Amino acid sequence: MNPSLKLALAVLIALEVSFTQVWTVNVALIAISLVLMLINHVTVKRFLWLTLVPLFFASALVWSLTLQGTASHHFLIVLFTRMFVYVYMGGLFTQTTDPLTLTRSLEQNAKLPAKFAYGFLAAFNLMPKIQAEVATIRAAALMRGQELHVWSPQLYFKVILAAMNWSDQLAAAMTSHGFVEGAPRTHAITVALRARDWWIFALSLVVIQVGLFIGLP
Amino acid sequence: MATVTVHALTFTYPKRTQPVLDDLDVTFPSGKFSLLTGVSGGGKSTLLKLIAGLTPLPDADAITFDGHPLTQIAPAKRAATVAMLFQEPSTQFTMDTVVNELRFALENQRVDPAAIPAKITAALDFIGIADLRDRQLMQLSGGEQQKVALAIIVAMDSDVILLDEPFANIDPPTRLALLEKLVALCTQRGKTIILADHDLSNYDRWVDHLAVLDAGKVTLLSPTATQARFAAFTPDKLRLTHVALPTDDLTVSLQGTQLALGHSQRQLLRPQDLALFAHQATLITGPNGSGKSTLFRALVRLGAYQGQLTYNGQDIRKLSRKRYARQVGLMFQSASAQFLNVTVAEELALSQKFGNHTYFTPERVQDLLTQLHLADHVDQIIYSLSSGQQKKLQLLCMLIMAPNVLLLDEPLKGLDFASIQVVMRILTTVQRDLKLTLIMISHQLSGLDDLITLHLALDQQQLTYQEATP
Repeated sequence: MNPSLKLALAVLIALEVSFTQVWTVNVALIAISLVLMLINHVTVKRFLWLTLVPLFFASALVWSLTLQGTASHHFLIVLFTRMFVYVYMGGLFTQTTDPLTLTRSLEQNAKLPAKFAYGFLAAFNLMPKIQAEVATIRAAALMRGQELHVWSPQLYFKVILAAMNWSDQLAAAMTSHGFVEGAPRTHAITVALRARDWWIFALSLVVIQVGLFIGLP
Repeated sequence: MATVTVHALTFTYPKRTQPVLDDLDVTFPSGKFSLLTGVSGGGKSTLLKLIAGLTPLPDADAITFDGHPLTQIAPAKRAATVAMLFQEPSTQFTMDTVVNELRFALENQRVDPAAIPAKITAALDFIGIADLRDRQLMQLSGGEQQKVALAIIVAMDSDVILLDEPFANIDPPTRLALLEKLVALCTQRGKTIILADHDLSNYDRWVDHLAVLDAGKVTLLSPTATQARFAAFTPDKLRLTHVALPTDDLTVSLQGTQLALGHSQRQLLRPQDLALFAHQATLITGPNGSGKSTLFRALVRLGAYQGQLTYNGQDIRKLSRKRYARQVGLMFQSASAQFLNVTVAEELALSQKFGNHTYFTPERVQDLLTQLHLADHVDQIIYSLSSGQQKKLQLLCMLIMAPNVLLLDEPLKGLDFASIQVVMRILTTVQRDLKLTLIMISHQLSGLDDLITLHLALDQQQLTYQEATP
């Protein structure tokens, strides 16, 4: 499916689920996401992460609400399943979408300004660099007798300094390779937006509406 | 073909009073290879960035290409007019793979999509790196990254090619290969090349004009004067008279067993046994990009290695990170990586709190600050110090920590002659007083003789101890 349309679909469904309370639709969405993830060969490790993290938070939320004793059973189930809908759909999206294709699609299909599209891509490509920088900062601190933890402000001060430096470097790199803000570009690889994509998009939304309508009390 | 004309250019950095470029006039002739030289920090990079349009000009007409300022050239044509190759190879890319970066550059120039694949193939073939086409940019060596960056400039067909110390992190054979391609671009395709370098060795065969940047002004030497200047340039000579091969009575501090660095696609150090000795000052030399800094990162557990590394007989992987970091410290090549605070005083206070405060008494620290000409800067913000001042402060902070083993990665980089003398005197005194183990990487070769007692050379992916050089 076209990445931009896939993103729009995921966001729309998440929004609708946020404002309605139909747990059967939530369960159906979880099941569909699960099946699609299995088809797309998501690794077991990744899958466990996607399950255990929301399980912890959803359980904590439900437990605290139960202790308060004001929420109905129905509402608790809706909350519990909603959390999984968000995480599984997000997981399905990120696991089945290549960032570069998404960037190209956002630029070509969604007509997002190239500056934002490539800015997003650059931020994505920066991730491993940030991890290496954090390791270096922590090592430098240990050599001076200071232990920096994830909550130490100094760590963030240094990472932000480094990030500001990188953003200057990146702007220079883009300019030196001919990128000019707002100027038109050609596209070596076009991302197709086919009729089939629109059909999947529309049908999915219709099915959700029907499900929500039937499921509403 | 394009002639670059700089006219009456004055440039001052924000919050500085002294202009770095002062009413500068120079013309870089079309289709020629010009070499720009001058002291480090003298404004070479600034001038190149202004020509490339990466730094906004104070006056748009100050720099013209065949009479046209860059801002008057259509956006899609700018990269075809001028392009720049950066000093730090890894910082010049936006995309993930070589082919994607080439596509990105050509798309920006509004090249017809149908013509893009052929242009990419031609550019990669010209530089001779067709096999790198689908590789991840961040997994390439510095030399390969510079080749890719040059291939992109070839694909963009830029008339003026600027290079800012492009060989700073590149091994000699790659440097030669790149230089040959640059000369071919100049003679066969009529490109105007301006290359900034402070090391003048091996340019005499190729360079037409030497441009000397001094005190904010450029003087363009004639071909005869240029050749005379090249002939007079002699690179620093390594002279170590106190060095000897390690003997049996030395104590081993760090020991590598079947130690290897790099990965299958790029081996830096072939498996070897390596001993580093306690209470000695060891110098490690070797070509750029050969893996010296990688060895240091492995020794402080910031980088991967194969084989085993032990410190005082214990596997460093099994030691607690916190304790090990207090035993083996690294002075990073980039000074800013070392600092954790905002002002000079805070940074010193941190070192004094956890460091060797019986030796580094407040009086001694004050005396060292005076010697290093930092005493008047204690309340200043570190990042507003000059790069030389940062380097001196960084060294002082790590010396106060006085770890048993101190690794120094280019501690003299960017320092002027007087500072080098002071720094070497301090290093020698402290090392003798505290019996520190110093292991040092340095391209600055003069002034090391008093300190260094052991010399390791990295060559052909092997580290070997050397005898004295008279």
